[in-house]
Amino acid sequence: MEENNQINNEGELNEKIAKLEKEKEDYLNGWKRAKADYINYQKDEMKRFTEAIKYGNLELIKELLPVLDSFELSYATMNAADEKTKKGFEIIHSQLEKVLSQNGLEKIKSIGEKFNPEIHESIGEVESDKEPETIVEEIVKGWKLHEKIIRPAKVKVAKQK
Amino acid sequence: MSKIIGIDLGTTNSAVAVVIAGQPEILENAEGNRTTPSIAAINKTNERLVGLLAKRQAVTNPKNTIFSVKRLIGRKFSDPEVQLDKKWLPYEIQASANGGVEVKMGDKWYSPEAISAMTLAKLKADAEAKLGEKIEEAVITVPAYFDDSQRQATKNAGEIAGLKVRRIINEPTAAALAYGLDKQKNEKIVVYDFGGGTFDISVLEVSSDTVEVKGTGGDTHLGGDDFDKRINEYLANEYKKQEGIDISKDSLALQRLKEAAEKAKHELSSAVETEINLPYITSDAAGPKHFLMKMTRAKLEELVKDMIDKSIELTKKTVKDAGFDLKDIDEIVLVGGQTRMPAIQNAVKNAFGKEPHKGINPDEVVALGAATQGGILQGDIKDVLLLDVTPLSLGIETLGGVSTKLIEKNTTVPTAKSQVFSTASDSQTSVEIHVLQGEREMAADNKTLARFVLDGIPPAPRGIPQIEVSFDIDANGIVNVSAKDKASGKTQSVKIEASTNLSKAEIEKLKQDAAQHSEEDKKKKELAEARNNAENLIYVSEKSLREAGDKISQDIKDAVNKKIEGLKSVKDGSDSQAIRSAIADLSAEIQKIGQEMYKNQPAGEPKQEPNQEPNQEPKQ
Repeated sequence: MEENNQINNEGELNEKIAKLEKEKEDYLNGWKRAKADYINYQKDEMKRFTEAIKYGNLELIKELLPVLDSFELSYATMNAADEKTKKGFEIIHSQLEKVLSQNGLEKIKSIGEKFNPEIHESIGEVESDKEPETIVEEIVKGWKLHEKIIRPAKVKVAKQK
Repeated sequence: MSKIIGIDLGTTNSAVAVVIAGQPEILENAEGNRTTPSIAAINKTNERLVGLLAKRQAVTNPKNTIFSVKRLIGRKFSDPEVQLDKKWLPYEIQASANGGVEVKMGDKWYSPEAISAMTLAKLKADAEAKLGEKIEEAVITVPAYFDDSQRQATKNAGEIAGLKVRRIINEPTAAALAYGLDKQKNEKIVVYDFGGGTFDISVLEVSSDTVEVKGTGGDTHLGGDDFDKRINEYLANEYKKQEGIDISKDSLALQRLKEAAEKAKHELSSAVETEINLPYITSDAAGPKHFLMKMTRAKLEELVKDMIDKSIELTKKTVKDAGFDLKDIDEIVLVGGQTRMPAIQNAVKNAFGKEPHKGINPDEVVALGAATQGGILQGDIKDVLLLDVTPLSLGIETLGGVSTKLIEKNTTVPTAKSQVFSTASDSQTSVEIHVLQGEREMAADNKTLARFVLDGIPPAPRGIPQIEVSFDIDANGIVNVSAKDKASGKTQSVKIEASTNLSKAEIEKLKQDAAQHSEEDKKKKELAEARNNAENLIYVSEKSLREAGDKISQDIKDAVNKKIEGLKSVKDGSDSQAIRSAIADLSAEIQKIGQEMYKNQPAGEPKQEPNQEPNQEPKQ
């Protein structure tokens, strides 16, 4: 009778140990995970911080692109006779481009290149003698800020006649 | 065990999220975007493109660019929906051997699950790159109305992409989960999901441990893209009316108009009026033409009113079909980018007479909810690991009865913080630490948690002793406060067990009190600070007079003393402006002491050593 009791107690004890071990394992795992998450978060935060500085101007530059477009359009429609004003526009334009390029903005090449969806967006096709998929017309200029495409060049590509 | 990601596999766009440190977070894709177009394509050189890249070539490669495949997945070719969609989808669709659907991309036929798998595989690969670890398991969401076959097909798509699909959950359930509504018992929830291309409405009922779908409805061909189209048409028509020029044939003009229309739509969610400004949009014989038009929020709302009304009608019908009254609904959740529009938020609010949940980004809420479900399956989000925050700020009383906070409210515990303070008068040998709880600026308005005295500080001029006060709150909210004199090493401390024994209502009341009194408290604090500055300046002035001795004339001494008296007479009053001006007067006057002393120095002689007295500014 007594022995039986003891075995019972031992059984209960083992059960309890198993339960506690499982609990310990759970807690330890949770702790490790939380710590790892935190360390990873710190690394991530550092990366995000660097990115934030590098791309701090992104939104502003993005908003400026349509202004630059308008500027170029206005130049294109200018009367050729007005040489002096035209020259002035050119200088302002290069001034503006210089500021933007110093801040990491770079024009995406398009006409004559092979269409590449990483940097180009196709919005139409044109019959041409050129090899298919060659860019023959640029509708909207594309821009890259450091490594990020902030606006793909919107282009028309060659199609066999 | 690798992390379980949550995927919102959408008709137009998809998103992926994962639980990081107990919170679901969206993972950016390789292009740096938070959503990925659900599009796959094969280009002319037989390369496979997925996501944004596939989208960028869709216009010139329509036959081999597969989008909206979610409309086809798990369906029979004979389904009326498939027959309907087949009419407008530009790629080829045919019946598969078993009566299902197949789509043609390049020169091969694919099942819709194989196409969805391409999107899923990209999401998986980008998530792995972002997390820097392998991903093997996922929770994927589907619309509540998906039947067994559609769910199975979605699951298969996951498996094809190399993911073990731990669970397929409903999109509205995921959204409710992201808002933590699964914990509310016996509630009825309506999820209003206005996406880019589809409108879904779902009625959910939360019981003890299940979320049951009681009804679904909506319109699979109504979405935010229709709004964009309306605005575009309106602008082009208006321009034609004003200038008589049709710009719908000019691809550059159209591109610029499309971008401007989308921008205007977004801006009108926060502003009531915006300007669409497109110089040199076109030209005619007379020269260049510009596009300049004001658009009001009212105009936008008028343009899309019928679509919003339709969505509300469908909502009412769905609730009724589910067997409920609109007033039975306890919570409403908004999902989908278009629900940022104030007119939609108001229409929903008016229909139910309740404010809908809208705090989480509506484009991301489903993926976040799926990640939350993944976290639960993983055991990441367990109650044991939920950490508390201190509901109210903790601090001590400092000179002038000001409450100086050491631990700000909403700080996650356990946490510890310490700061060095000093004495307020010369030869002060003991300091009283008065521990306070609350948001008010003055000590008297906050709750006293404890007081204790640290004595045995070696006598020294005021501001010299360094007394480090440390607060430590453990995970159970027990606060330990200790004060240590750095010179003598003497320490005193107190343990406060009942700091968080406040009910939610009490905490709320205290916070509101603080908000109500913030203006008046600020004034009191300013006054206390002005008095502190006054006392400090009087101390410094009297000391300078003593030290200057007979090096300065009696006239200057009298003038300074007069200003000191002047400051003393106002400093205990309650006019902080008067104190500040008396401080300014005295400050100007005492400069004369220095000026006089330098003037009296014979020219050419080396200048006196700088004042060697230690800085008398109080440390704190």
